[in-house]
Amino acid sequence: MMRRMKRLYLATVLVVLSFVSVNAQSVYDLRINEVMLFNKTNYIDSYGERSAWIELVNTGYNSINVAGCYLTNDISIPTKYRIPSADPITLIPQQQYLVFFANGKSVHGTLHLNFTLDSTNRFIALIAPDGRTLIDSITLPIIDTDKSYVRLPNGTGKWQVSELATPNSTNELFETHVTAGQKFVKFDPYGFIMAFIAMSVVFTALLVLYRLFKLTARLAQKPIRIQFRKPKQTKLDMVEEKVEEIPGEVFAAISAALYFYETEKHDQESTVLTIERVSRRYSPWSSKLYSLQQTPNRIVVHRKMN
Amino acid sequence: MEQSGSFFSFLLENLTQFLSFTGFANFTIGHGIMIVVGLLFIYLAIAKEFEPMLLVPIGFGIIVGNIPFTPGYQIGVYESGSVLNYLYFGVLKGIYPPLIFLGIGAMTDFSALISNPKLMLIGAAAQLGIFGAYILALLLGFSPQEAGAIGIIGGADGPTAIFLSSKLAPELMGAIAISAYSYMALVPVIQPPVMKLLTTKKERLIRMKPPRQVTKLEKIMFPIIGLLLTTFIVPSGLPLLGMLFFGNLLKESTVTKRLADTAKGPMIDIVTILIGLTVGASTQATTFLTPKSVGIFALGAASFVVATFGGVMFVKFLNLFLKEGNKINPLIGNAGVSAVPDSARVSQIVGLEYDKTNHLLMHAMGPNVAGVIGSAVAAGILLSFLA
Repeated sequence: MMRRMKRLYLATVLVVLSFVSVNAQSVYDLRINEVMLFNKTNYIDSYGERSAWIELVNTGYNSINVAGCYLTNDISIPTKYRIPSADPITLIPQQQYLVFFANGKSVHGTLHLNFTLDSTNRFIALIAPDGRTLIDSITLPIIDTDKSYVRLPNGTGKWQVSELATPNSTNELFETHVTAGQKFVKFDPYGFIMAFIAMSVVFTALLVLYRLFKLTARLAQKPIRIQFRKPKQTKLDMVEEKVEEIPGEVFAAISAALYFYETEKHDQESTVLTIERVSRRYSPWSSKLYSLQQTPNRIVVHRKMN
Repeated sequence: MEQSGSFFSFLLENLTQFLSFTGFANFTIGHGIMIVVGLLFIYLAIAKEFEPMLLVPIGFGIIVGNIPFTPGYQIGVYESGSVLNYLYFGVLKGIYPPLIFLGIGAMTDFSALISNPKLMLIGAAAQLGIFGAYILALLLGFSPQEAGAIGIIGGADGPTAIFLSSKLAPELMGAIAISAYSYMALVPVIQPPVMKLLTTKKERLIRMKPPRQVTKLEKIMFPIIGLLLTTFIVPSGLPLLGMLFFGNLLKESTVTKRLADTAKGPMIDIVTILIGLTVGASTQATTFLTPKSVGIFALGAASFVVATFGGVMFVKFLNLFLKEGNKINPLIGNAGVSAVPDSARVSQIVGLEYDKTNHLLMHAMGPNVAGVIGSAVAAGILLSFLA
């Protein structure tokens, strides 16, 4: 009875825990993506206040929980602000963002840091939960008020000053770069032109190869024909040559038969017992003959008497 | 007393933490579904012998990738710095597919193609599946890059599909690779009904001329000319085509037997293990179980049907211009998809159903290997147009 109760208890615990789903992956996929140093008319926090802000991006393809990581403006104090655990807001979905306010008011909540950024404090570092490993850092230049310092392309590119701030959003929002695919689809929304052009290219490539090899086949075979052009062939030679020439179909039939034979044999293999004779190969190293002292033999020469 | 109380609370806290780290605590329904999918792959590979060399590593990889764990300890395939992440690097950066192509080149005999070069055109026609799927994907609302990556499933070439999707749509690579390999394993199920539907009994009985003997010189010239021609037309296909033809030259030159043996033996085996396991592991429930994946699977099936249609119908079209005696059996049209040698084997089996003495395997190998070249060229075109 007790054992059953224990099992039931354990199962209940496991079922309850199974609902605790953690989707996050590696904090090493996080990057500092955008920073605003002087905020006068820009992004407002939930208290209606404006301050410098730091945007993190999850460059991975799974959710990441940033809780336990550290943010600092002083590399000599890497654990200056520990991002609190047990706050669902710290879970960043794949390719998404999280903005922290550098206002020195950590009592305002998880997203409010205990340090500030200004013209003298322009360094930001994101530290792993071990408090030692640097994930990402940036030293900001002096940026004009309400302008932000961004990575372009998003999360991976070089830092540059942007006229337009994009907190909690992609930095490529106002980017004028259009990919080749997007350009192509503007002219060919249903893909028919692509299909036609691409099929034509594939056909052209293989058609050229076909024509060339048709030509090559003639040239390549020519010297062989000359080689076979013997002075005169008797009827017997011709018959022998015909016998030697095995058509490709025969090879195909043999190959197919072997394939089927091998696959069928494999199925039955486990039920067949075989006794194989183990034979040891002769080796002079193990031969007793060499280890025994040779007794001198008398040489008898038989002479043939004529 | 107080100390013992705090010790027990400390112990309980650690035990609770340990329990929260177990796979049971992090388990979700998605993980369960994916583990079942992995087990299904392993079952199909072992019990039904559907592409076991691929489905066993992929199936096991799916299980590996879906073991629930607490993040942050460099375990998972997507966690930077983890061992699996390092192995996955070869997939992500498109390193493994060209290495597999090197091995394929070293084990492929292009004789059937060289002896009857017009079969190359069938390999080109079957690429219709790629662009049919591309059109359908655009209609379903996928972005052009995503549509291109999905379309390549129709080429029936796993390494090419992985290579292209890693460049165009890395977030869909797991679903695309799984879809491509699954349908390649299902070639004997998908293709025969389409082949029978599109051909008459008379056409299925066409006997083809036996292929002629190919000289060593022709075999050596083929990879060199093939490389120069195809990559001059589509340079973006160079990683795949370059390695394919290089591997073939190693084989055909006969003076680099050791290199050819390594490329087609231990090397391709190692890369197949790595690519299979990591692609499988990349199908984590959170990234794989999405409506997009369902769409990719549907489009994959459609692309194989369209590819078979393209190959068979092209042979019928070609026969209109060929003299009696030179005609091609349309049952080898399906072999234009580059699932080597499965689709050629399908031609042989379906051909034997109608004439026990009409062996099509040798003839079907021509379009089959042409399909490998064709799909690599098509991948190059998609890459240059959409990347």
